[in-house]
Amino acid sequence: MDLLTRMMELQEARGAVTDEMLRQLSKELRVPLYRLEGLRGFYPVFRTQPGPKTHVQVCRDIACAMKGGEGHCVDVAKALQGLPDVEVEEVSCLGRCETAPAAAVNEVPVSGGPEVIAAFASGQRPLPSNEPTHTPRHWPTDPYANERAHYTMLRRLLERSDVDAARTEVVETLKASGLRGMGGAGFPTGMKWEFTAKAAGEPKYVVCNADESEPGTFKDRVILEELPHLLIEAMVLGAWVIGAQQGVIYLRHEYGRERKALEQALQAARAAGVLGASVLGSGWAFDLRIFVSPGGYIMGEETALLEALEDKRGEPRNKPPFPTNFGLWGKPTLMNNVETFAAIPIILDKGADWWAAQGKGEFKGLKFLSVSGDVATPGVYCVPMGTTVAELLQICGGVPGGRKLAAFAPGGASSNFLPAAKADVALDFQALQAAGSMLGSGAVIFVAEGRDLVELALNEVRFFRNESCGKCVPCRVGSHKAVTLVEGALAGQPANGLVPLLQEMGRTLARTSICGLGQVALGPLLSVITNFPQEAAQRLGGANGSHGSKGQ
Amino acid sequence: MSTDGKQVTLTIDDRSVTVPRGTTLWEAARELGIDIPVLCHNPRMSPVGVCRMCVVDVGERVLAASCVRPCEEGMKVQTATPEVLGHRRTLTQLLLSDYPEQSRREGTTGDDALLALARDLGVDAVPFPDGATGAPRGQDDSSPVIAVDHQACILCDRCIRACDELQHNDVIGRTGKGYFARIAFDLNNPMGQSTCVACGECMASCPTGALTNKAVAGMRVLAES
Repeated sequence: MDLLTRMMELQEARGAVTDEMLRQLSKELRVPLYRLEGLRGFYPVFRTQPGPKTHVQVCRDIACAMKGGEGHCVDVAKALQGLPDVEVEEVSCLGRCETAPAAAVNEVPVSGGPEVIAAFASGQRPLPSNEPTHTPRHWPTDPYANERAHYTMLRRLLERSDVDAARTEVVETLKASGLRGMGGAGFPTGMKWEFTAKAAGEPKYVVCNADESEPGTFKDRVILEELPHLLIEAMVLGAWVIGAQQGVIYLRHEYGRERKALEQALQAARAAGVLGASVLGSGWAFDLRIFVSPGGYIMGEETALLEALEDKRGEPRNKPPFPTNFGLWGKPTLMNNVETFAAIPIILDKGADWWAAQGKGEFKGLKFLSVSGDVATPGVYCVPMGTTVAELLQICGGVPGGRKLAAFAPGGASSNFLPAAKADVALDFQALQAAGSMLGSGAVIFVAEGRDLVELALNEVRFFRNESCGKCVPCRVGSHKAVTLVEGALAGQPANGLVPLLQEMGRTLARTSICGLGQVALGPLLSVITNFPQEAAQRLGGANGSHGSKGQ
Repeated sequence: MSTDGKQVTLTIDDRSVTVPRGTTLWEAARELGIDIPVLCHNPRMSPVGVCRMCVVDVGERVLAASCVRPCEEGMKVQTATPEVLGHRRTLTQLLLSDYPEQSRREGTTGDDALLALARDLGVDAVPFPDGATGAPRGQDDSSPVIAVDHQACILCDRCIRACDELQHNDVIGRTGKGYFARIAFDLNNPMGQSTCVACGECMASCPTGALTNKAVAGMRVLAES
């Protein structure tokens, strides 16, 4: 944390991390040059030379490409041409898909067409406020009516004299509630808490994965801005249950406004004695710090995140061992996603049965969803688990312009596209898996008729190619070759036998990649091939093109 | 690998083997005389599991890289199922699609491990787009004794571990990310202008034509100042 923080401070203050700065740092900290280069070359926040005064970042990923058109980034670059001291960069999803097409001017989020972005970049239009909202909404996972009531659950537990029984109760309640990890993997939360509590090794750590970066995903952003006290409370509770003294919130780089909200909440928590040398007078010390990511989707993979916290290149580890036993600095680490943590206070307050009853029918609990794409009112919705995709679409005002729904991806860019005919599927881990997709990060992307599904899927594969860390061969080389092959097909030169070749590559990536990124990288494309065979055959199935291959 | 004196028993390709806890699947297979192919692994170095050639089926959702996966009691491991062999072929083809037509290693020590693996696996055609023509990744001839061909680098990280872990010279690392990741000397300097001491460990550890020896016969050993 310290080395990357130093480098980020240099980047912030001097606009670059130059060779000269790294040579100095190397001598001062006695760190070899190659390690510093490895970090500078890996994390997108660093540059080797200072850039122009105004830095415009334009999102190139699915929700923004749908709103702005595939040529959106090029159009923005054209509109900015000739502006003095301005540079434009195409970037991965900025996490503001409900404002698509999204961009950022000197890290302040903006949105709009090329002329609007140019007006912001030139200073013609003042940049919008980047401060947290003064009027957070009340969400159904918040047990507290007002600020005074915050941390009631924590107080109640820390007052208990039967500490061991109280800790066990927390774990048992979480297990009974059926709460699962909301970051994408869906691992049962109670089990994770139990494993970490029982794991041997000191000290232990609590980490919040607040690095959501998958295209279409922005629900944690809203929780960070509007419900930071729930996240803090659950992290303190987690630390108390497993016996930790330090916690880290790993925050995605692009969430500047949310960082301010979180800092304010941390300050309030310290003032209230919830964090510090003696949590609520219990004599037990615990504190939390925010670590702002130097950037990159892969850091959302939990072991890549840990590597980044250890000042290394964010490359996922081989597993096992898992972080519950071998986490930060090789010590037991409890890591949950923002939404998962934030659901815990109300579950402990109202009980596992109450939580389970919030779901529809057989499904348990509440779910935050990020809704984007061809939908009238994109945004973040908190709905009962088990709400169907069709019901969600209704809640969100349907498909605009009187168009019909053609397809949807229920769980972010890594989830398989399903046809509109399956819109009665329940939004739930198992139900979506049975339907051939997944709940993933809970990012529902609606696609109207008339869209080119192969192009949308290619956009997603390109995202995974761009965000691959490069550690292992299948993901590093496979994702790139797949993009090249499909781009060739869309340019009118499909390779012979392209579809079976992509399917074979998909199997290799799924079975041999180190982490989830490589395992799912071709998934969306293969789902279009499976679920929309006609569209796929039209764009990929040409029988005459040559391989463009080489013999050995 | 750390061991605690306890033994574990597992089966590899239906044969039983008992090894100290902490032994990797790759090591246990070798005890049975089963040779699992590797490109990134070298028993002298700590395993990294990045080339994925050594994947084996342990009955889980994904295959396990045998060079890093510790043996567990009761494990049932298959090292060469048709599926596993198919993935090894695809991985080899992926690497070959970016590999130069001529490997400098075949012209020097003649032991290019990628080409040998391709022969073993019967890989004769590559269905992936060619990424090697024109050597877009570049070459670096700045070192007086070691030739660097980035196009032939498969990012196995052996040179990195050779330099940093075996020799403690701390010169080589990875820079860049994803498909554009590459090995780098110091702050991504040409090898000849880096703090490299030309010990040769990286070159000896490299399995491909990426780091090879230059002809040293007739070379002036001491530079004139």
